[in-house]
Amino acid sequence: MVAVLLAVSSVCALSLGTPYVPPHRLVAAVLEGDTTLAGIVVSELRVPRLLLASVAGACLGAAGLVLQEALRNPLAVPEMLGVSSGAALGVAAPLVLAFSLPAAVQPLLAIGGAALGGGLTLLVAGIGRSPSAVLLTGAAVAAALQAALLVLMVMADQLDLQLIYRYLLGSLSARTWDDVTGLWPWLLVAAPALVLCAPVLSVLRLGDEDAEALGVRAQRARLAALAIAVVLIAPVTAVCGPVAWVGFLAPHLSRWFAPAAGAVRWLPWSAAWGAAVVVVADVPARLALAPVETPAGAWTALLGVPAGVALMRSGGRRGAAARRTTAAPPAGAAQPVHRGGPGPGGPPSPPLGTTGPEDVR
Amino acid sequence: MTRRFTALAALAVVCAAVEVVAGRGMSPGVVWEVLNGGGDATERHIVFQLRLPRLLVALGAGACLAVAGLVLQSALRNPLAGPEVTGVTPGAVLGAVTATALGLAGWDAPLAVVLAACAGGCAGAALLWLLAGRGRGDPAQTAVHGVLVSAVLGGLTAMVLLVEPGELGSVVQWLVGTTEGRVWEHWHLLWPWALVWGVAAWLLAGPLTLLRCGDDIALAAGLSAHRARTLALLCAVALTAGAVAAVGALGFIGLLVPHLAVAVFGADLRRSLPGAALTGAVVVCGADAAAQLSSRLLATALDSGRLTLPVGALTACLGAALLLLVVRRTPSRTF
Repeated sequence: MVAVLLAVSSVCALSLGTPYVPPHRLVAAVLEGDTTLAGIVVSELRVPRLLLASVAGACLGAAGLVLQEALRNPLAVPEMLGVSSGAALGVAAPLVLAFSLPAAVQPLLAIGGAALGGGLTLLVAGIGRSPSAVLLTGAAVAAALQAALLVLMVMADQLDLQLIYRYLLGSLSARTWDDVTGLWPWLLVAAPALVLCAPVLSVLRLGDEDAEALGVRAQRARLAALAIAVVLIAPVTAVCGPVAWVGFLAPHLSRWFAPAAGAVRWLPWSAAWGAAVVVVADVPARLALAPVETPAGAWTALLGVPAGVALMRSGGRRGAAARRTTAAPPAGAAQPVHRGGPGPGGPPSPPLGTTGPEDVR
Repeated sequence: MTRRFTALAALAVVCAAVEVVAGRGMSPGVVWEVLNGGGDATERHIVFQLRLPRLLVALGAGACLAVAGLVLQSALRNPLAGPEVTGVTPGAVLGAVTATALGLAGWDAPLAVVLAACAGGCAGAALLWLLAGRGRGDPAQTAVHGVLVSAVLGGLTAMVLLVEPGELGSVVQWLVGTTEGRVWEHWHLLWPWALVWGVAAWLLAGPLTLLRCGDDIALAAGLSAHRARTLALLCAVALTAGAVAAVGALGFIGLLVPHLAVAVFGADLRRSLPGAALTGAVVVCGADAAAQLSSRLLATALDSGRLTLPVGALTACLGAALLLLVVRRTPSRTF
């Protein structure tokens, strides 16, 4: 199903648009290279964009699964690590404060901001020991960075504001081979680490005590998993902005289709679903309001979320089983955050307190 | 208990005084002179037409958001059910933005904005209600669905802003949350709305206290839990929509102030509901005063006139600090 979806949307992404290249002529167009207009458009614009979409989606999906498994929480999303807010800050600050920077430094700033946000979360998360404490710290760091971004947004003039807003939504427009090649070194670091950490993840979801009994140092493993997620997310957000909800949706989809499997098998599926979601969302993003580009992030939120909800709800017993496994919160954890009030009925989940791009959007 | 209320009221008065004095361009002495009937026309205009309505709007919006948060948390029995998480705030923002983009509302017609924000907030809450379906009682499920609803509404807002890119500059204050440039018109719209729904929330305080204890106890005490919850949700949506239409999506107030109020005034809503209103007013007003003071200091330090600190940024920082505090104090607890 993923393969079919990916193939269909890839062909659509490559052939639709101006100029329209019929599917059977695609290979010829690429082989012709830069001698014809169609060849240039396909090989210089559409192929890198497609590659970038699938790589970004795969990274976000895998990072989402790593986070959700390591923190044992179905609501852990990459946006909560402060990585995307940091990257947005790195993009917005030079625009608004009117620094004059050489063009070579600008992409580095976004990556620097993303690394700053993620690193800050990791550093502060050293205090909190339990998974939910880590999530809360991530939310706090994201909110603080968001506040800085809000100050910049209020100060910005109309044009800068448009640029920042588009970046915040996550857009793939006008990305070239340079952006794609910039991603490879990061992937080379992250992929082996992912393979190494997948078995540990399936142990971590048993709970800290069981994991310790099996010989895994839970704290250290969790921090390592977080670091891997940061390495996966940072370059992607730096290049195409925080594409919303992919890191949330992809792991849930992969679990829904294979409820019985473990983290090791979910990981590739989650990456594949992430890629599929972004590639599919990029087609309407490019074509819906043509010639105006719409950000892919808006489409992942608009199409992806209802589709995911419908899937998860319609599944009957299968879906229910999947939901039970995914939404299993830490047992016996019905402690309200506040004192004095009667406790809530069930196990509460972490605060989704970032009033950030989610609300800003 | 009375002493706590008095202390909080005194704090509110102090915050209000600081807020009146804190703005740019006038020294405290001049403000005092103007309040005593002196000053020239410009100074009188600044104090009476700009600063006083701003102060009142900040107080009213803070109270509205805090009460809405407390009502939501009690009705859904979920400590995380702030207005942001239940789709009410994103819906209200969507309504306000759509009305502005369609040209139905603008700065000359604040009433239309309030109505549009209210409709949007109701739509957001209704969407969550439909989506949650049978799993309504489960706080974790409600939170998941609330996040999803917020995502969809946020995507819609983005789409509206993409179709009408020229409006982005004029709606950014709803997205951020600021009290810049609020005038008497906003206050005249806010206070009747806030008063009506605030009184409604106060009348619901008893049933809500029962709902906090659980549906079984509420039913045993003779309360029609379903009807009380629906009324409470309606009340919370209306209060949030009013506040969002006045000051925009102020982060964290609706989520954290109720916890503060419950910690100070106890879980009996008949006392903690007014307490929450007072606390919310103090927090927003104090944050606004602090934002004005610090942006004044920063502007003189960095020598740039453009720098203004929106109050939304400051409340987000406050929320972050409080979250970190919670984590530090209970490092190993699962929430």
